[in-house]
Formats: sequence, C-alpha cells, structure tokens
Amino acid sequence: MGDVHIPDGFLDPVTAALCYAIALAFTAVAIYKSKARLKPEVITLASLLAAAIFAAQMLNWPIPGGTSLHMVGGALAGILLGPWLGELVMVVVLLVQCLVFGDGGITALGANILNMGIIDVLMGYAFFKALARPGGTNRARMMLGAFLGGWLGITLAGVACGLEIGYSPAFPFGVAITVPVMGLWHLGLGVIEGIITALVVDYMARKLPSLVMSLELPAQEV
Amino acid sequence: MGLSVQSFITEHKRALTLIAVLLVVSPLFGIIGADIVGYHEPLDVAAEALGLNETGLWSGILPDYSVPGLPENWAGLSLGYIISGIVGVAIILALGLILREFVAKG
Repeated sequence: MGDVHIPDGFLDPVTAALCYAIALAFTAVAIYKSKARLKPEVITLASLLAAAIFAAQMLNWPIPGGTSLHMVGGALAGILLGPWLGELVMVVVLLVQCLVFGDGGITALGANILNMGIIDVLMGYAFFKALARPGGTNRARMMLGAFLGGWLGITLAGVACGLEIGYSPAFPFGVAITVPVMGLWHLGLGVIEGIITALVVDYMARKLPSLVMSLELPAQEV
Repeated sequence: MGLSVQSFITEHKRALTLIAVLLVVSPLFGIIGADIVGYHEPLDVAAEALGLNETGLWSGILPDYSVPGLPENWAGLSLGYIISGIVGVAIILALGLILREFVAKG
C-alpha cells in the first residue's frame, strides 16, 4: 500500500538513466531466466496475475489531505511466480500504466520498475522463501513470510523512491528528508499490503497450491 | 484466436470474475471517494506545491484513467475509469494470449 509511481520531472537525468540501466539489465536477465519456464499455462497464469494486479492498483483509497493508498502487488508476484517471472509481470503492469494511462512518468519508468518491479518483488520472494517450507505444511510460517515480504517490500520501495527523488536537484528536499518521510510513511501503510499479501498467498496455498510456484521451485530453477 | 479467447474465458472464470469485480468497484475509491476528500496524487500535490512542471512528456492515450469526451462529472469520470480499467486488463490479457500462441507454435 502506498503510491510510489514517480511522474516525469521528479528525477534528474543521471538518476533516471541509472535506474533505467538497472531496470533494463534486470529485465534482460529475467527474460533469459524465464524462457525455459514459459509454458502456455504459466503464461496464462502470469497474464492473469498481471491483469489482477493492474485492476487491484485501480482501487485507489483516498485519504483526506491529498494522498492515497493502493495495493502494489510486487511482493505477491515474487511469491507466486518467483523473482524473475514476478519482475516481468510487474514490468508489463508498469508499462501499460505508463504508456496507456500516463501513470508514472516515461522518464521515471526505470525508477518505477526498480522500486515496484525489482525491490518489492525480491523482498517478497526473499522473506517468503526464508520462512515458508516446501509443501506449505506450516501455515503460520508461510503467512508470516508473505506478510513480512509484502510489508517490508513496499517499505523498501518507498525508501528507494525517497532516495531517487531526494538526489534530484529538481526536488528541493534532500535525501535527509525524503528518505525518512517515504520510508516511515510506507512502513505504516505497508502493514495493509502485508496483510493482503498474506491472505492471498494463504488462500492460493490452500486452494491452488500449484500456483504458489516459488514454494516448490528449487532456487536455481526460479 | 477466437476459439482460444473463448476457452480462456471459460477456463478462468474465477480469476476473470475477481478482476471484473475489482474494476466495477474501483470508481468508488478512485473517483467518488477522491472527489469527497479532494484527492490528488501525492506526488502531483508535491509537484504543484513546488512549482515543478509535471505536464510530463507523455500523458497517455487515456490520461489518468479518463476517457476524453465523457462528461466531467462523477458519472462520466466513473464510467471513464471503468472503461480505462477494462482497456488495461484487455491489453494485458491480449499480450498474454499472443505470447501463449507464439510459444505454443514454438
């Protein structure tokens, strides 16, 4: 939960370019790593997840005072599909948001992919893998892993967003302000993202366990 | 392609229903709730306060999930928001179907 879609004009060219470079490199590796896994049924699942995350992000909960929260879903994508395919799902969502709806600036697309598609996805996957056991036998550990991944994934994405805009000369507040503000804000709101992530993962693990792919895949195959 | 779209819908009714429900209720938050509390994107508010040029380089085909030409009241904006959601979901699912056909043909 939170909103970290950075518009155009917030990042200085160096930061924007650096973020683009990281996003492109990670996405290239993700495509290479995911190639072998792209069976028709996995593609269907990934596209349905991308569509669901896109739709969930449209539920923008307004908060008096001019801010809002919406689900981000990167951690969920990482938990269900693993880090590489999870990142590709978020890239598709962010590309459609940026190109079709002008949500997130085109110059900031690299940064938005880095925050929501890489950092959030990796955090979700890492916490879930660290706590959940293959077979999903321990429900509490699995839910805790998904909760921590969703919560801290969005918090770290907020911190990264603070760093990126804080370093920009166009933005008069330095990182000493932007990082704590974005970090603390998302540390608070991220609890909701963590709860939703845990509930969705728990539901999937009980009803459709084969779709919680990161649980079964050995690390090198993810 | 026509056949695979049809079987796709019947095979994934549950997921597609969830997506449809999310899209239908989305204006309650994005448009109507936002109107009540005077919501603007937080980073847009920051940009305005700082006098940054946030017009952007590209505002999209359906800017900010609105359909140009629809009335600028809550009904028109809500309809535009839902249509935008359907367009976004359709593009994503179409990309998936195209990739699926591509992979299936090897």
